[in-house]
Amino acid sequence: MWSFVLRRLISSIPVLFLVSLMTFGLIWLVPGDPASVFLDASATPEQVANLRRELGLDQPLWTQMLSWYERVLSGDLGQSILLNRSVAAAILERLPITLSLAAIALVLAVILGILLGSLAAVNHGGWGDQSIMTVALLGLSIPDFWLGLVLIVVFAVQLGWLPSGGFVAITEDPGGWAMSMALPAFTLTITQIGFIARMTRSSMLDVLRQDFVRTADAKGLGHGFVVMRHALPNAMMPILTVTGVIAGGLLGGAVVVEQVFALPGVGRLIIGAILSRDFPVIQGGLLMLAVIYLLVNLIVDMLYAVIDPRVRLG
Amino acid sequence: MKTRILQIALAGGMMTGGLMAVGLPAVVQAQDGGDVVIAQLQAPPSLDPHVTSAQAARNVNLHMYETLYARDENAAPVPDLAQGVEISEDGLTYVFTLREGVNFHDGSQMHADDVVASLNRYREIGASSTLLSAIESVEETGEYEVTVNLSEVQSTFLDNLSSPRAPIAVIPAEQAVMGANEIEFIGTGPFRFVEFQPDSFVRLERFDDYSLNTNYSERDGLAGYKEVFIDSVTFRFITESGSRVAGLETGEIHLLETVDGPSAQRLAENDQYVVYDVLPFAFQVIKFNHAQSPTDDVEFRLAVSAALDMEEIMAISHPDIYEIDGGWLFTNSAFYSDAALDLYNIADLEVARQHLENSSYDGETLTFIVDNGRANVDTATIVQQRLAAIGVTVELSVADWPTVSQIGFTPDGWHFWTHGFGIEPFEGPASVIAPWVDGVSMQADDPEINRLYNALTTEMDADARAAIFAEFQAYMYENAVAIKAGNYGLFQVSTAALENFVPFRIPRMWGVRLNQ
Repeated sequence: MWSFVLRRLISSIPVLFLVSLMTFGLIWLVPGDPASVFLDASATPEQVANLRRELGLDQPLWTQMLSWYERVLSGDLGQSILLNRSVAAAILERLPITLSLAAIALVLAVILGILLGSLAAVNHGGWGDQSIMTVALLGLSIPDFWLGLVLIVVFAVQLGWLPSGGFVAITEDPGGWAMSMALPAFTLTITQIGFIARMTRSSMLDVLRQDFVRTADAKGLGHGFVVMRHALPNAMMPILTVTGVIAGGLLGGAVVVEQVFALPGVGRLIIGAILSRDFPVIQGGLLMLAVIYLLVNLIVDMLYAVIDPRVRLG
Repeated sequence: MKTRILQIALAGGMMTGGLMAVGLPAVVQAQDGGDVVIAQLQAPPSLDPHVTSAQAARNVNLHMYETLYARDENAAPVPDLAQGVEISEDGLTYVFTLREGVNFHDGSQMHADDVVASLNRYREIGASSTLLSAIESVEETGEYEVTVNLSEVQSTFLDNLSSPRAPIAVIPAEQAVMGANEIEFIGTGPFRFVEFQPDSFVRLERFDDYSLNTNYSERDGLAGYKEVFIDSVTFRFITESGSRVAGLETGEIHLLETVDGPSAQRLAENDQYVVYDVLPFAFQVIKFNHAQSPTDDVEFRLAVSAALDMEEIMAISHPDIYEIDGGWLFTNSAFYSDAALDLYNIADLEVARQHLENSSYDGETLTFIVDNGRANVDTATIVQQRLAAIGVTVELSVADWPTVSQIGFTPDGWHFWTHGFGIEPFEGPASVIAPWVDGVSMQADDPEINRLYNALTTEMDADARAAIFAEFQAYMYENAVAIKAGNYGLFQVSTAALENFVPFRIPRMWGVRLNQ
């Protein structure tokens, strides 16, 4: 097991290098730099050049690239041009918001998705199955930014139950935190439930047709017990795979949801950095997201062995 | 408490898919204090006042920092931190007397050395350091006296000194030795810095030891008597327009810096909100690249100018809040001119075709660069369609602002570019001419514009300056150096609880009260 983890971690290094190289290439291919954010449209080229010099953007590309890799290898992601703090600090300040949002949405999506998918499979072909799959398809089809705005109009503007946006730290006010996270988490959950419900239904239908399920039923066990104790664990492998994919997708979805609900998370940080060409933050932020993706995949692979004893890692 | 607990329960319920219903009581009680929350589209790139000319930064910084001279309600320069100024007969020496007893937010008092250090810092790293380019030296000639020596006469020196663009703010001398973005946010303004979450909010609080300028009795532009009744002001940065409006409707936000027309109209029907028409706020300008053919050809530019229907452009790009006016200054300016306005908004395709026939245009496809702001894209699209009617093919190249602004200041890759001119007409004639000096905005030097700019900035007589500006305006029209489509404004909306708010270039929070 541990040799597997070690090998996977080592094999992540070239992936991260490629990600950072591509990020570097892409952001330097796109015209524009932070000077355009500091200055308005009437700034003279001389003013822009002065500011670029002040910001250290007048160095050749390869010089900037080498010094960036040098810093990263020594554990320093550099200094944000606009935020007046280190990139690592900027990311770490916002990471809990994004991770907690994604985690809440993931847990809810998994619980509700598995529950709905199992119900649909058990009632295969019935009205319950059709209804659940219709709702799942609807959830998959609704754009998260639109759903977020509708929820704001209903629950914040019309009913006044929840805040329309903003963030309250859990350390300041746990209740305020729960309220500020409710609508964003709900938005993310709704759009992800469909994936898991559909995969659960499909996987469960396969398992429910197998002999051991029929045998369990024939032994006189309750059908509910058979489904939950025997069928579901055997249907978990594809569900786990989809959950891994969704975990990564939630980070992407969080980018949009954070914009709609003005949550100061990593997604909003990276979007802002892209729009203002805060290169160190873009590089550091994307590198961090790549690390999270790789870790999630590694955890999913490890869970395969936990769930299915036939899988041997090593 | 009960309501609060239920709200928390609701949040938990939402997360598990359950929904519950609880209302919030509304309590209205008039009293001083309170935290005013302003929603604005963008975050300031910096709270160092010297290094950024972004509107988002001005909104915040001009609450914390002050300048020697500032713009009054009519955008004229008036003393703010200065008591006054004596100008030598040759126009080369300015002796500023400072107000005494002005406190910085760190508890120290402002003296001449702070002013000298601040001006010198701005000359080195200021985002608009050319504003002070005429300065030869700045000297401390007394505890409360600063002498500025100019290398050449500059009639616009006080205009420059009071520019809110990237404010030439006075900061403590020990801060002024710091590099760009390295200072602590300490000014003399009526609000002081509390917290900045760069992608979330800035919070300022009332500076209780603020030194009111008793030379005035009331609020006057960015100067005047800046009495603060509220406790604090929070600027929240909300990109999504629907979320901003929702925040106002839930009572979490008290003022929207800008809102779209349909939302403004909807909110205006509700007496809980007050909608302010801030018009004029800026020009819509269409620039030509004079370094490329055929936009280097005056006949081609005149063809474009004659073809465009400004009413059509402004009505679509800025629905509900625009003015058809060709003057290159706002009408309330003392320098406003109607020179050559018969050449504005011709909207005659036949005249345009005649100019086009005499031009060097040869059927090639021309590039119109435009950022992804809706009004600018609309303007570019209308120009594209209108020019198609006279046989000119234009393709739009839409990108984000950093991309477009970098291309637009190079001689290649574009023929047309449109965006707003906001702070320039507010500042006055020299600021309107300045973008065209040395060919910066059209990528080809125009000696006549350079001459007019030098004449204007060295002419001390106001009437003569007005005549020079009229000459500039006529030159712009007769040569179609660039096209002004019209004036546009913006809608600002506040809750009715925000009293005595008067819109200006920034959403001023002194003089306002919040009914809580």
